[in-house]
Amino acid sequence: MSQRKRLSNTQGASQNKRRSDSLAEDDSEVPFTQPSSSQVQRGLARVSNAQVEQKAAEVVQYIMVKDQKKIPVRRADLVKHVIKDYRNIYPEIMKRVLQTFSQVFGLELVEIDTKAHVYILINKLEPHEALTTNQGSVNPKTGLLWVILSVIFMKRGAVKEGLIWNTLKKLRVDPGERHEVFGDVKKLVTDEFVRQRYLEYVRIPHTEPLECEFRWGQRAELEVSKPQILHFMGQLHEREPQSWSQQYRDAHPSLGAPGPSQPSRSQR
Amino acid sequence: MRKSLEGDESENVSSSHKSSKPPTARKRSEPRQERNGDNSDVGSGSLLDEDNAVNRREIRSKYRDLINSVQQNRDHMLNPSNNMLTEVLEEANNLFKDVRQTREAALDAQLIVVATDLGKEKASQLFSEGAAFDPSAFAENLLSFMGLNRLEGGEHEPQNGGDGYLPSDAWDRLARRAETCFRTAPTFHYMLGSFHAEPPPPKQRIERQVRAPNKEAKRNMPTQLKKMEESHQEATEKEVERILGYLKSYHQDDPTTPISYYEFVVDPNSFSRTVENMFHMSFLIRDGLAGMYLDEDKLPCIAPVEEGMDGEGSSQKQCVISITIDTWKELIEAFDISEAMIRPLSES
Repeated sequence: MSQRKRLSNTQGASQNKRRSDSLAEDDSEVPFTQPSSSQVQRGLARVSNAQVEQKAAEVVQYIMVKDQKKIPVRRADLVKHVIKDYRNIYPEIMKRVLQTFSQVFGLELVEIDTKAHVYILINKLEPHEALTTNQGSVNPKTGLLWVILSVIFMKRGAVKEGLIWNTLKKLRVDPGERHEVFGDVKKLVTDEFVRQRYLEYVRIPHTEPLECEFRWGQRAELEVSKPQILHFMGQLHEREPQSWSQQYRDAHPSLGAPGPSQPSRSQR
Repeated sequence: MRKSLEGDESENVSSSHKSSKPPTARKRSEPRQERNGDNSDVGSGSLLDEDNAVNRREIRSKYRDLINSVQQNRDHMLNPSNNMLTEVLEEANNLFKDVRQTREAALDAQLIVVATDLGKEKASQLFSEGAAFDPSAFAENLLSFMGLNRLEGGEHEPQNGGDGYLPSDAWDRLARRAETCFRTAPTFHYMLGSFHAEPPPPKQRIERQVRAPNKEAKRNMPTQLKKMEESHQEATEKEVERILGYLKSYHQDDPTTPISYYEFVVDPNSFSRTVENMFHMSFLIRDGLAGMYLDEDKLPCIAPVEEGMDGEGSSQKQCVISITIDTWKELIEAFDISEAMIRPLSES
């Protein structure tokens, strides 16, 4: 893989990169390749600052509206629908977009997939308990998602789907039936949450019959605070968060936790 | 307790006192060394080809059995209380001694893949030392947090087979608390809402207009019906009286000539009116206002009964008269009736 990339760079025409990009983009459009810094400079010379600002503002609006569903924004869509002719100064536009999000809205635009070039918006600020209680409406799906994410976390990263369904059933949420709050639960969990990148739903290899397991998705890794989960977990069970020693170490990586591959004999 | 392994293999696989340890890679090398060295146990290399093929088929079948047993009994093998996985690997080790060709070796490799996957899962079970996480207890505590009402005496129906009643805002309550764990970007929406045009008011107007005529229409109905019913009863009585009038006037014209019953009731222009006339006549006879008798020719005749006469003179009999269209036509011919003696209502 890496050799092919080196070759394409020396050849100048980034044909291989176009091929990999075209997998994520429409076939009808010319696939977008990241312009070089010299191209950007030349492009900037031809446009006024006001135009660049205008484009950046449009990108910000586009992303904000797209983020309503929490489905990641694809770079290809951004270029096709908003940037259009200004694609040669794409990096400059995105630089201003990031700045605007950060300084005006307190949000962070993160590229969660550097191959497919997909972005999500997360909050830079930590949620404050006093603020959230005053907010008008709350989305009950957050509660359901939290349950699933917590179970995965407490089970150290991966859980067979059977365990999740059983836990939900104990909470009166049955994936086989229509739920009065959540509707089609199975679809919500295995489709919507996965598309939003909160969860990953992957096949367990060599299982007969086919079984899948749940893991945290990329959005969850960025958005969700593990110490907070443990804190709430402790409140629920009336225990200290530290009593779950391994999970506590998972939540506080700065404490230098030994990974699961090394059995910790000394601590027992 | 693990059973002790024979010979060299026991050094590589140390026994643990709790559960079976996932097998290490080194175990696999032993049978190969044996094969290269002492061939005394295995003679398949130097025998006839046929025996060779049979042996190989056996080996392959046994490998496939092992692979199947790992896949089918996965859950059972995961249980740390048994050593089934180790036994499977030992059997594979034995089989491998006889393996000479790639085909069988490939099956052996496939078995190893399946077994190591299982081994990895068993290993991950080992590390839930310290505080294990119990999802059932978790669910119970969550339900309490969400406000589960564990009332007895069934005020509310039990949901999903569980005890108690979960309030409708249960998930909202949880979501509110859970939000503190998320750094979600707030979703974008216009602060003052969006601008809606006309639609709502006209709908209300339409509804009101529709409602009013309905009530009036209903009110009209009962009064109309009453009139109808009255007219039905009156119509019969009036008709009967009218016929009595005809009868009396015909009798007055000529008191001596008897009026033939059939001539009187038959209407040559309408069979249905004839039947109605007979029907109305029967009322007159029943009420004693008219009498029927047979004349010399034994044909029925009718005459009005004068008021004041008591009922002794007239014998009270009952009879049933029927008429068909054919009979009606015959009567018209026989009596030569050209016009109705009882003029129909519509004509007058």
